[in-house]
Amino acid sequence: MLARRMASTMSASSAALTFELVAKCSTTRARASIMTLPHGPVNLPLFMPVATQASLKGLTPEQLENTGCRLCLNNTYHLGLKPGQEVLDAVGGAHKFQGWNHNILTDSGGFQMVSLLKLATVTEEGVRFLSPHDGTPMLLTPEHSISLQNSIGSDIIMQLDDVLVTTSPDKERMREAMLRSVRWLDRCIAAHKNPDRQNLFCIIQGGLDLEMRRECCAEMVARDTPGIAVGGLSGGEAKDDFCRVVGACTQLLPELKPRYVMGIGYPEDLVVCVALGADMFDCVWPTRTARFGNAITKFGVLNLKREMYAADFGPIEKGCGCPCCRPVEEEGSMGITRAFVHHNAAKETVAAHLLTLHNVWYQLNLMREAREAIIGDRFPAFIRAFFSQLYPDRQSYPSWAVDALRTVGVDLIET
Amino acid sequence: MTNDGQEEPTAMVFEVLKAAIIDGSAARLGRMALAGRRSVDTPNYLAVTSRGVVPHMTPDNVGKHLHSAGVYMALEDFIERPQQYSKRPTPIYDTPTSQGRRPLHSFTAMPPEFMTVLGARRIPAVLSPMGNSNASISIFTSTGYQVLTTKEYQTAVETLRPDIAIPLADLTHGPITPTSKRALRMAERTDEWLKNWFAAEDASADELRQRDVAIFAPVLPVSYSIQWEYLERLSEDLSTRIAGLAVYDPDVLPDLLSDYANLAALPRLSVSAPTTPHHILRQISLGLDAFILPFVNLVSDAGIAMTFTFPPSPTATPSLLPLGVDLSSPSYKTSLAPPSPGCTCYACTAHHAAYIHHLLAAREMLGWTLLQTHNHAVVAAFFASVRAALAQGEVAFEDAARQFALRYEPEFPAGTGERPRARGYQFKGEAGGEVKPKLNKPAWGKLDGEDGGLGLTRVRAKKEVAPAVAVAAAAAVADKVVESAVEGGGRLETPPCPG
Ligand SMILES: [Zn+2]
Ligand SMILES: [Zn+2]
Repeated sequence: MLARRMASTMSASSAALTFELVAKCSTTRARASIMTLPHGPVNLPLFMPVATQASLKGLTPEQLENTGCRLCLNNTYHLGLKPGQEVLDAVGGAHKFQGWNHNILTDSGGFQMVSLLKLATVTEEGVRFLSPHDGTPMLLTPEHSISLQNSIGSDIIMQLDDVLVTTSPDKERMREAMLRSVRWLDRCIAAHKNPDRQNLFCIIQGGLDLEMRRECCAEMVARDTPGIAVGGLSGGEAKDDFCRVVGACTQLLPELKPRYVMGIGYPEDLVVCVALGADMFDCVWPTRTARFGNAITKFGVLNLKREMYAADFGPIEKGCGCPCCRPVEEEGSMGITRAFVHHNAAKETVAAHLLTLHNVWYQLNLMREAREAIIGDRFPAFIRAFFSQLYPDRQSYPSWAVDALRTVGVDLIET
Repeated sequence: MTNDGQEEPTAMVFEVLKAAIIDGSAARLGRMALAGRRSVDTPNYLAVTSRGVVPHMTPDNVGKHLHSAGVYMALEDFIERPQQYSKRPTPIYDTPTSQGRRPLHSFTAMPPEFMTVLGARRIPAVLSPMGNSNASISIFTSTGYQVLTTKEYQTAVETLRPDIAIPLADLTHGPITPTSKRALRMAERTDEWLKNWFAAEDASADELRQRDVAIFAPVLPVSYSIQWEYLERLSEDLSTRIAGLAVYDPDVLPDLLSDYANLAALPRLSVSAPTTPHHILRQISLGLDAFILPFVNLVSDAGIAMTFTFPPSPTATPSLLPLGVDLSSPSYKTSLAPPSPGCTCYACTAHHAAYIHHLLAAREMLGWTLLQTHNHAVVAAFFASVRAALAQGEVAFEDAARQFALRYEPEFPAGTGERPRARGYQFKGEAGGEVKPKLNKPAWGKLDGEDGGLGLTRVRAKKEVAPAVAVAAAAAVADKVVESAVEGGGRLETPPCPG
C-alpha cells in the first residue's frame, strides 16, 4: 500500500501558527504533521506534559528539554495565584519566568476553577468563585482569562468555556453551556491582545450528545481559530462515549488545523485518539503517578514501591531510551535500576524525579513512534503491537478500544 | 597477607603539593588520586547523600552540575529491615558488578568520576538510645534502630567496595562530652575494632578485592591524651595499612601531627561536620584536607542561596555581609538577577531569583534542586579559591581567611520558607527543619552512665507508640529537647510525649 505522504503544499498558516500535514494513515484517520509556533516547530501527534506551577515536578527545564519536549503546559489558574499577573508582567511572561525557550500552552483557568473550587457558579458574565486566599467573591470572565494568558505569553492560549461534566443528565443545561461557550469564544477573540504571537484555540463542547457536538463544531470552526480543542471529556464518562465524541468531532474539523483533545494521558487513550484523528494531548497523570512510585512501560504500569522490585537490578523499562533506562555504556545514561527507585520511592524526591523523567519520556516517545508509523504507513501494525504488549491476550483488550478502532478500519481481534 | 610493615599498595595515592612552613598554620595543598575517578585537589569537600542521593539532585544533574570531590554515604541508609520483610536479604548487597563498576556506585547510579566515602552512620547521626556494645554499634535506619556488628560492617565494605571506607568508631553522637571513663573506652574499643579489621583482612582469601578500598582510620572526638595509645598503634602498626585519617575533632590534629610524622603524611578528612565556611577555614588552618559538609543540603532546604566568596570582595559598607540570602523573602518576587551575581552555575545562568522565589512559595521541588545546584557550586568555588590562595603561600591564605572572618556574618540566615517534607530518617539531619549552624564546636558524648539512661527510658516509652515513624519523630523531638536544654544551660526537661 502506498503511504499517503503529503505534498508540502498541504499546509495552512495563521498569524502565529503554521500547520503542515506530513502524512496520513491510509487505514485510520491518524495524521502526522508539523505545527510551527512562535517558539519553534513541534511534531504531531504530541503529548504535552503539564508543568502546573511553571515547573515540571522537580525536573529542570534543561532535563525537560532533553526528553525532546518542545511544548508543555502551564495552568493559568495556578499562575494567576502564584506568582500572579503583576509578577508575570514585571518579569516579561512565563517563558522568561521559568527559563523555558520552547513553547507553552495554557488552559483558560475555568476548568481548574470548576474542578478545584466546589462553590464555583457559572453565569453569562463568567465563573463566580470564592477566593482560595481569603474567601472574597471573585469572578473569572473570558476577558480576564485572556488577559492573564496574554500576561503569561503562552504560544497557545485556550478560550474560557462553560465546562459541565459530560455525564450531566440535564440536556438543557448542556446546550446552554455549549452555546455560552460559543459566545465566550467571541468575547475571548475580542479580548485577545496578541494574535500575532499567541494562538487562541476554541474548545468544542456539547457533552456526549453528538448532535450538540456537531452544532458546536460548526459554530466554532466558523470562527476560524488557529487550532481546535475537544473539551469537556475525561470527566468520568464511559470510554465508548468518549471515543464516539472524539470521532464525531474529528470528522467535522478542518484538515489543516491542529486538533487537541484535552486532559487525555493514558497510553491506550492516546493511541486510540490518534487513530481517530486527534493530534495533541495533555494530562497530569504521567507525572502525578510518578510521585506514587509508578512507572509507565509498554507492558503496563509498574509500582516500583512493591517489594518484588527491592532487588530487581534491571532498568525501569528494558529497551527504553530515557536517561534513566538506556544501557549504562551509552552516552548520557544514568544506569538507574528498579531496586534504586524502590529504595528511594516515597523517601527521597529524587526517586520521583527519575520516574517523572522516565514517564514523560515514555509518553513523548509513544507519540514519536506513532508518528513514524504513520509516516511509514504502518500505523495499524503499530496499534496491534502496542496492544499485544500491553495485554496478555486479545481477550483482555478493552472493548471500548476494540470498538473504537473498528470504526477506523482496524480490527484488533480478527487479523 | 603479611603484617610486617611492608609497603602495601592501596587504592589511593595522596600527594602533598605544598605544605605550610609558618607557625600557626598547618594548611596545605594536596592531590588525591583514585583509580577510575577524577583526581581531586585539596582542600576540597564531599557532598552528603541521603539514601545514596545528593538530596533533590538526580544522578544526571550530579554529573553535570555538582563539582564536589565526591560524596559521603552512610551504610545505615541502605540496610533497613522492613517489618513485613525482616528476613529478606539486604538488596544492596546483591548489586551486580557490571562493567567493572563498584557495587556502591552501581546501586546508587553515582557518576563514575565521583569518589564515594562510606561510613556506618549519617553525618550528623541520630543519637541512639541503645548505645554500642563491644562488637557492635547502634544505627538508625528508615525503619528504626538496628544493631550493626563490626563484622557486618566490614563485610558490607568488602561487598559494596566504596572508594574510601571509615571503619567503625565507638562514638556516642550525643551533645554532651563523654566522661573520661567513657572516653577511654571509646578509644579502647575503636583501637580493638581497627586491629580486628586488619586481622580479618589478613585472614581473608580475597586480598586484592579488599585492598582497593582505601581505609581512613577514625581520630576520635576525645582529648589527645585519652586516645594517644590508639594513635600510637595507628602510627606503629597500621600506618601502612591506612590510607587516611577520618578526623572527628580537628583540635586533636596539632598534637597528632607533631608526634607522628608518618601519620602526618596521610590525607585528613574532616567528619566533624563544620557548619559554616568560617569553621572550614579554621579547620584548613589546622591541617584538614577534605570535608564532609552536611550544611550545604540544609542551607538549600532552608531556601537560602549562598553568596559568600573567598577572599571576600572588597566593599565600602562597614556592616557584615550575609553568608547567604533568603530567597523566600518577598523582595525577590520580581528579581531577574541570578541568585548570586557572578556565580556561573546552572541555576544562576539559566534562572533568576524570582523563579526560585516562586518555586519555594509554591513548594515546587525544583526550587530545592536549583538551590542545591547553586549552593554546591558556591562551596566548590570557595574551595577552589582557597587552593588558589594556598598556592600563593600560606601567608596569603591566612590573610584572606582573616578578611573573610571580618567581612561575613558568623552564621547563615535562618530562612523563612517552608522546608521540603522530612521523613523519619531525616529528622536529625534536618535538625527539626531548622538550619542552625552553631559557632561552637559540636560536642560529642552521651548523657550519663552506659550510653544514656535517659535514652533507655525514652525508647521504652516510645515502644507503646510503636510504628517506626513515631519512634523516629520521638527521637527527633527528644534530641531537640536535649539540644535546646544543653544550649540553655544544661537543664534537661522531660521530653514531650510524642503520642
Ligand atoms: Zn526509561
Ligand atoms: Zn549559582
